[in-house]
Amino acid sequence: MGKPDLRRLRRPEKAEEKFLGPLEADVMDRLWRRRSATVRDIVEDLGRSRELAYTTVMTIMVRLHDKGLLERVRDGKTYVYRPAFTREQHRARLSRDLARGLVAEFGDAALAAFTAELDTVDASHRATLRKLAQRGGRGAR
Amino acid sequence: MARADRAFGILIGLALVSSAILIALLLTLVPRAEQLLARGAEEPADVVAALVLALATCGISLGVFALFRQLAATAVLIRSLVARKIALPASVAQAAHGLELDQRIDVVADERPFSFCYWFLRPRICLSTALVARLDGEELRAVLLHERYHLQHRDPLRIVVARYFAAGLYVVPVVDELVGFYALQKEIAADEYAVSRDGVGALASALYKLLPDADDISLGLLVPVSSLSVTEARIEQLIASRQIAPTLSPVSIGLSGGALVAAAVLVAVQGGASMAFAALPQLVAVPGLLVGPASLLFAAAVDGGLHQLRPQSQRA
Repeated sequence: MGKPDLRRLRRPEKAEEKFLGPLEADVMDRLWRRRSATVRDIVEDLGRSRELAYTTVMTIMVRLHDKGLLERVRDGKTYVYRPAFTREQHRARLSRDLARGLVAEFGDAALAAFTAELDTVDASHRATLRKLAQRGGRGAR
Repeated sequence: MARADRAFGILIGLALVSSAILIALLLTLVPRAEQLLARGAEEPADVVAALVLALATCGISLGVFALFRQLAATAVLIRSLVARKIALPASVAQAAHGLELDQRIDVVADERPFSFCYWFLRPRICLSTALVARLDGEELRAVLLHERYHLQHRDPLRIVVARYFAAGLYVVPVVDELVGFYALQKEIAADEYAVSRDGVGALASALYKLLPDADDISLGLLVPVSSLSVTEARIEQLIASRQIAPTLSPVSIGLSGGALVAAAVLVAVQGGASMAFAALPQLVAVPGLLVGPASLLFAAAVDGGLHQLRPQSQRA
């Protein structure tokens, strides 16, 4: 079972890889709630709302492990998975990588951008902007 | 709204004056360089001339390199965008209605929310699908209005020109700081234009929705913590219309002023004025008139040259 790890080493880590597909997001959601689980646990958990094959869930979880989002330890014959980051850490990592990716990609290009995504904005400016958006008669996020 | 134009005007004005002084210096040194090649360095002035010529060569190379880097990065970006271009979504067409942006908007499939104005003589607006999905109609229109300002002012072209001068005039580091100031002013002007058409609410809301999701985690790697980020300055402008002065560092003002004065002195020494100084004992004349100005030029050159070599994303 060393292969997935090797693949992870060789493959450069891209920002996109941390984005989750719908099923991946469901699996991560269960793991963040349960803290740790086996593939069987997740199949049973998700299986309450829909029909999912064991192999499908296993493939997803192996892929999440490859992406570095899940850690695992062997317990007898099975692996026990747990999230490598909290939900908040994951979100922060995502948006940091987004910003870095955009800066690296667009930095030297000659263009005029609506640059919000590239910048740091401290909490007080963030709050001000939110108020401004609402005062203008709009509900921001 | 004229502030961005004024910032660009000052930048270009300073760049042209500096270029004129430096070109004058270059022209007075060319005959000396020919002598130098023919018979080697005979006096201290020859060495100074050779070094100044080397600086000028660096400036020309840095300018060309900056142009090349920008054009290459833009070309690579556009190629990757064209490959991911999709048909104009109805929501975008609706938001753009009446803005005279027909055939000027591209929407590309990307999970990152972004929008920008690109290309030079006939600029275009690019939006990502993630941005389109995240914003409602009025917010989209605010973003399009913001980009329309850039499009009408040909800001991408102005940026190429500004960065070219900043690189070529690396011995006058103030030019580079003025580029940063202009970059901020054009965003503020574009915001003001959008606000003047549709009010502050939609633009503020769009900006808010596009902020990175990190309330308490600092992303401080990208901008110096001591100053406002571009977005923070834009937010302040949206609330208070506080005028933002350019932040020029004393070091770069000193180096830029020193370099230009030094260049002017060298022009005078190398040209007709050298006759007047010939009366001075060489021990005073050489260090005072050649080595002094030349070392100022070199100090400015080292400071500015190292800065210009770095890609935009790694500059503080």
